[in-house]
Amino acid sequence: MAIKINNLHYIYMQGSPFEKHALNDINLTIEDGEFIGIIGHTGSGKSTLIQHLNGLLMPASGSILVDDIDITQKGADLKKLRQKVGLVFQYPEHQLFEETVYKDIAYGPKNMHLSTEEIDERVKEAMNYVGLSEKYMNRSPFELSGGQKRRVAIAGVLAMRPDVLILDEPAAGLDPAGREEILTQIRALYLARKMTVIFVSHSMEDVARVAGRIIVMNRGQVALDGKPGEVFSHAEELRSMGLDVPQITQLITLLREKGVPIDSRIYTIERAKASLLMLLKQSQNQEDSLC
Amino acid sequence: MLKDITLGQYFPIDSPLHKMDPRTKILALILLITAIFIAGNPAGYALVTLFTVLVIVLSRVPVKLYFKGLKPIWFVIIFTAALNMFLTPGTKIQIGDYTTPVTWEGLLLAGKMALRLVLLIMASSALTYTTSPIVLTDGIEKLLKPLSKLGVPTYELAMMMSIAIRFIPTLIEETDKIMKAQKARGADFDSGSVFKRVKAMAPMLVPLFISAFRRADELAVAMESRCYQGGSTRTRLNEICFRKTDVFAALSCLAFLAALIIIKIYL
Repeated sequence: MAIKINNLHYIYMQGSPFEKHALNDINLTIEDGEFIGIIGHTGSGKSTLIQHLNGLLMPASGSILVDDIDITQKGADLKKLRQKVGLVFQYPEHQLFEETVYKDIAYGPKNMHLSTEEIDERVKEAMNYVGLSEKYMNRSPFELSGGQKRRVAIAGVLAMRPDVLILDEPAAGLDPAGREEILTQIRALYLARKMTVIFVSHSMEDVARVAGRIIVMNRGQVALDGKPGEVFSHAEELRSMGLDVPQITQLITLLREKGVPIDSRIYTIERAKASLLMLLKQSQNQEDSLC
Repeated sequence: MLKDITLGQYFPIDSPLHKMDPRTKILALILLITAIFIAGNPAGYALVTLFTVLVIVLSRVPVKLYFKGLKPIWFVIIFTAALNMFLTPGTKIQIGDYTTPVTWEGLLLAGKMALRLVLLIMASSALTYTTSPIVLTDGIEKLLKPLSKLGVPTYELAMMMSIAIRFIPTLIEETDKIMKAQKARGADFDSGSVFKRVKAMAPMLVPLFISAFRRADELAVAMESRCYQGGSTRTRLNEICFRKTDVFAALSCLAFLAALIIIKIYL
């Protein structure tokens, strides 16, 4: 499922005094199997952009090709598109409505008119992916904890077996442990299902950890687009957009300024730890040889 | 699509009308509406129309918007006009040899009714375009204050109104979000039989109610934790006040009413 966006413009509340050019000439190509992180300040247009990818918003001008089919044309099968491009909104637990967890997750597959067995299989599979044990199946989603509710909601989208999964701030409002868990699960899911994942966040740390490509949005435009290392090398630009490089990268930069010979393209704690340990070992070896 | 519903339709610009005290505006509107119904002869109608046009010009809101406000009632205007044209007894209009079912009296009455309706809507729009809903409720509260002596809980009523108005856009936004989220899961809100469509509403209404209750609860806690007590001893951040413009506006309104009555009696 390759997605191609050409000259996309979107104007919010067109023709009213509150009119705002929310997206300005977006051009992007998203290849099959990519793990993309979209970051940007509040109001940078990242949520608006992702709602175009499954036809929830229609652009003022420009085209969006999903598998070479222009979804902005009249008569495009939006229902089918939305099954292929699964979108998990911010605070998705607010959309839960059914009496049981099982029924809620089955809502998407049911709308696809699948057989009962197929639905059952998909619900169980989705629950398994998000780490919900089957004992929750007949519980009311409203008596679960915040983190569990969110997992039910994510499972509700996964049960449609989308080829592209878009998540808008999936870790927002969770405690550090819940955050960690959701991110790990998304990463595992990406590896297991080989799906394209688009992950919207304003946390540099989160994006740096999971994404293979980062798109930075600023004032409705794509400001930077590339591998994490490339994007984080534009520290000044990021700062001017109200964003920043991950804290660990800042630490590495400070170390380099002090003359520590360490690789500048480090943006996760794991890699920083490994590099620093290696450096320490090297200097120890040198000291040893001196003696 | 839901965002197209504008409530209060406040148009935030700067104009003499925007600066006026809401109380003056509300009273002036009541006076203008009365005037629209008092006006009986062509001169009276001309004066009322002139006054409404003057108000529209002073509001600095694009005239286009006033006509947009008429959209939902075009049908009513045309329907009543048609009824009046055909059903009023009087001399039938002759075109050559053909006698139309329309009477002269009917035509005149239809014109009057249509003009009245258009003026009514435009005058009320002038109030809602230039006054934000919150200021409007403040004004209503102040105007109703004498009633509190009779035991009417005017303060509480006004507070309820302000809260309700404050939350309408929030709830619309929320509905929009939930609808989108369910659409992303394959929900279909706009096709199928009536029964099917009503059933399709549940995935939208249940989360909406839950979030409304949650918000109400949060608001109550937030208000109480800031020692909200209510009652007349509370002061407000933006006190509405009666200015020179208001005196001028009130005097012009009275002059206008006097002129209308004089026209009515002597012309």
